[in-house]
Amino acid sequence: MISVLPITIGVLVAGGVYLMLQRGMVRIIFGLALLSHSANLMLLTIGVTAWRGEPLVDRMDVATAADPLPQAFVLTAIVITLAVTVLMLALAVIGHNDDTKRMPSTGEFHDR
Amino acid sequence: MGLIWTLLILVVSVLASPVFTRHLGRNAGYPLAVIYLVAAAAFTPAAIKVMNGEHVTYSVPWVPALDLNFALQADGIGVVFTYIALIIGAIVFAYSARYFHDGRQTSFYLVMAAFTLSMVGLVLADDLILLFGTWELTSLASFLLIARSGYGGELASLRTMIITFVGGLTMLAAAAAIIAKTGTTNVTEALADPVWTQDAAFTGTVAVLILIAAFTKSAQFPFHLWLPDAMAAATPVSAYLHAAAVVKAGIFLLMRFTPAFHETPIWNYTLIFTGLFTGAMAAWFALQKTDLKKLMAYSTVSQLGLIVATIGIGTEEALAAATLHTIAHALFKSGLFMMVGVIDHSAHTRDIRRLPELRRKMPWSFAAVALGCASMAGLPPMLGFVSKEEIFVAMQDAPGGAWMGWVALFGAVGGAVLTFAYCAKIVFGGFIDGKRTDIEVHEAEPSLLIPAALPIFVGLPLALFVGVLDTPVGAAVKAAFPVVEEGAEGGEHHEVHFAFWHGFNLELAMSALIVTIGVILIFNRKRLLKWMEHDTLSVDGAWIMMRIVKMFSNFGRTLVGVVRADNPTRHVAAQFIVFSAVAIGGVLTLLSTSGLETTQDNLGRPVDVVLMVIIMGGVYGVVTSQSRLAATVALSTVGIAVTVQIFSLGAPDVGLTQLLVEALTVLMIMLVLQKLPLRFGRAPRYGQKWSALLALSAGLSAGLLVWSLTGRRELTPVAEYYLTEAYEETGGANIVNTILVEFRALDTLGELSVLGMAGIAIIAIVSTVRHSTMDPAPEKDRNYVAPPNVPLRPTGSTAYRAIKEGWGNAVPMQLLIQLTTPLLAAISVILFVRGHNSPGGGFIAALVGSSIVALVYLASNRDHQVGRPRLPVFLIGIGIILALGTGFWGLFAKGSFLQPIHGHALGQNLSSAMVFDLGVYSAVLGLVMAAFNLLGATAESDEGTRERADEAYEGELMAPLETVRGERPMMAKPRTRHLSSDQAPARKGDDS
Repeated sequence: MISVLPITIGVLVAGGVYLMLQRGMVRIIFGLALLSHSANLMLLTIGVTAWRGEPLVDRMDVATAADPLPQAFVLTAIVITLAVTVLMLALAVIGHNDDTKRMPSTGEFHDR
Repeated sequence: MGLIWTLLILVVSVLASPVFTRHLGRNAGYPLAVIYLVAAAAFTPAAIKVMNGEHVTYSVPWVPALDLNFALQADGIGVVFTYIALIIGAIVFAYSARYFHDGRQTSFYLVMAAFTLSMVGLVLADDLILLFGTWELTSLASFLLIARSGYGGELASLRTMIITFVGGLTMLAAAAAIIAKTGTTNVTEALADPVWTQDAAFTGTVAVLILIAAFTKSAQFPFHLWLPDAMAAATPVSAYLHAAAVVKAGIFLLMRFTPAFHETPIWNYTLIFTGLFTGAMAAWFALQKTDLKKLMAYSTVSQLGLIVATIGIGTEEALAAATLHTIAHALFKSGLFMMVGVIDHSAHTRDIRRLPELRRKMPWSFAAVALGCASMAGLPPMLGFVSKEEIFVAMQDAPGGAWMGWVALFGAVGGAVLTFAYCAKIVFGGFIDGKRTDIEVHEAEPSLLIPAALPIFVGLPLALFVGVLDTPVGAAVKAAFPVVEEGAEGGEHHEVHFAFWHGFNLELAMSALIVTIGVILIFNRKRLLKWMEHDTLSVDGAWIMMRIVKMFSNFGRTLVGVVRADNPTRHVAAQFIVFSAVAIGGVLTLLSTSGLETTQDNLGRPVDVVLMVIIMGGVYGVVTSQSRLAATVALSTVGIAVTVQIFSLGAPDVGLTQLLVEALTVLMIMLVLQKLPLRFGRAPRYGQKWSALLALSAGLSAGLLVWSLTGRRELTPVAEYYLTEAYEETGGANIVNTILVEFRALDTLGELSVLGMAGIAIIAIVSTVRHSTMDPAPEKDRNYVAPPNVPLRPTGSTAYRAIKEGWGNAVPMQLLIQLTTPLLAAISVILFVRGHNSPGGGFIAALVGSSIVALVYLASNRDHQVGRPRLPVFLIGIGIILALGTGFWGLFAKGSFLQPIHGHALGQNLSSAMVFDLGVYSAVLGLVMAAFNLLGATAESDEGTRERADEAYEGELMAPLETVRGERPMMAKPRTRHLSSDQAPARKGDDS
């Protein structure tokens, strides 16, 4: 059976890019979330989806085990996505408006 | 004792200076002076060896992989400059202890000590990289010392830094060129390389680079403007840096490279003409100044010009003369600078037009300044006289024929006439011509005067017994001319022999001429000065410099316009256009040329199709929904479907992580949504079509890429290695986890630093936003939606309580977490411990632990911080420290950063990777806690978001800091003052 993952990934990318081109910070964050899902799946497909055995030494067969290296990359990527998302969420609430075309008001004044 | 001891003693002085200033205040100058003298004493054995003709070196490997050594050498040049730096440094410190008003002056002593360390490092460096590094350090220290003088020094210090860093860059370029050409970073070896005589173009280029570097440091035209600017710094800084040390670094550099360049015409002529021009120009400007300190600054520029020109002559006699004048100038000029400080102290001004007649009131100061100026003017019986005569002798040997010798000589004489004139101006203007006023002026206290006058008075006996300098200056000449020049008399080095009296000769005649003109000028001084004391040019260097800087910054602003961050769409669009072009183009090229490999069998599974459909639906929902809440639900649908997809791809660790992250992310989004409008803003009609088109093309490209480039190969050797060897290597059965914490632990370290930074960044961002902006009151909040007015039964009814007194709604949750908290904690521990062998590990365990935080947060009927205010920051810090600690443990125990250490204990396989994993755990927990505490706070909570951000840094506070960082916050402490005052005490965890 051929894989439909390219289509899944394509859909995720399309949705992600569309949202990232919008004005509201929250929509941009959602776009980033979709895009990182697609990137994670993309990384995992690099390890050839024909082999899907869990890479746990005591219960796997090397012939069918999945490539563990992309998995480690993706795990790292997921946690970094969490960090980036949280940071962007914090930026989104400043001034109770997430419109990125307006400078968020911080209440601070600068001498320039 | 080796050279390294001198440097180590200076390192001690840097470390000790804050301690001294804390306990002794301004008197810290005295112990520091003693330390400098000790350093000079420690240097003496090496210096004696150098005088006896040895070449003292010290070298330890620095970066063995690049063949870099921390190499030091002492030769004649190094010895002279080291002693100047240390002895003048000691005197200036002794002076500073009385010059400054009471107070710590920590930054002054600390940066001065650091400066001396880098200066001595510079003159002793025997490695080009070390030479460059210390060179830049002296620039930085000089910048800091000017900048610390406050508002007036700000622009001046910036100009200084820009100019000296330009020189730093040319020096770096020169060092790189030399290393590339000669193949060594060792200064001595590089200078002895035959390339200098063989490749004229290369030699000329490097010579220009080096001399630009030296010109910026030694304030030669057109880089001279920073030195008068630098007078914004405190007087001791000028007395040390701008008379004896930092400006002499350029002189040092020229001498250091003399072996390579002394016969390069471009070097000779540039040095001679620039030096003489600078000398005359600066002397002219000096005459125009009425501020004694500015006058001294220009006089320094002028004197440096003279030395630079002398070095440019390129003969052994010239170098001897330059070295002698460097010593003489360091002595009289640092003394004169300090004397200006003394005058400033006593008369409260240093402007000649306002100074009273100081001759009678400050006789000792008068004597010191007069002698110093005599030395500067080159009058007998001062050291300056001997060195000036020597320079006149040297000038006559200028390369390029006899006429060139005369040009150089008369250039120097012309400069000397102007020098004589401004010296006279200092003495007469400052002490004799002043008005007889009633201003109370007293002679300075001896403790201030003696260190100031000391270097000047030293010049007097030194001139009469100048022979003692023969040996050190001779050693310096030998260092600058390691190979005896051909045709030298008897094949020997020029025998340096200074004497006070040379008999009647041309130089003496020149001196007599100078004095004659000078005396005429003195008698006509009133008329001449009136004519002179205004600026020749309508623009000054600083103005030109600022215009150039402004031009560059305008240019920069134009460039920034292209990549400005206030319009994210533009950047995102550009990236995806490029992505689509590369992807589609690449795939088409691949198809049309080599074709594709065949795919592996059985790439897909039926479940993929199911998930694809769910994801499509979810994505459609997120994209089209105008309601924020609905979009969030659709997003989490996608997230869960992707999680299942990950599980189906055989990645249990990844799947677990994704599941937990998904849950936490949705919770955080919900926290944020309560502060935002209910619906997304209406998108502009214009441009949406393009967005959709770009999105489709990007999606198509990504799909094409995945289809054409994946699933078409055998198992890679890397994957095979991990699958077959990882267990042997680490003793862990969960290969993904072993990759994370052992094989690629550095990646994970980077990742957890990102996590930690994100946590700190959130706190930092929020703490710059005012409370009223972060949590505006409902009437100020444009997006505030009032709760719907539901007609309710009266107070006390169930319906009323359910809506208006919400605390009861939280009770089931509060009961639940009593059960779930220990359960989740236990699961978290189990996941952590088993991570090496089964799905689990630091990340997953930490995310489970974080869900406790989330539940506790959600179970409160009001917003409460979870944990103590500073806990998130500590957790992040501890996490990074633990991870780094494991890294260094591996480095020291096994010789490789983050190398895991395995051992057995309690019948278990233990590894230092567990400690690393604990660091991961801590950092993740810290981030999640910071996120919940800060994103969750609302205007209705006990503490606003801003206050929580402040507390994450400061600890428990009474109110948000509506101030800048650094001011003392109002701390909430468990005190009883609130009983007498009306102020409410700090609330900790109350639930009222």
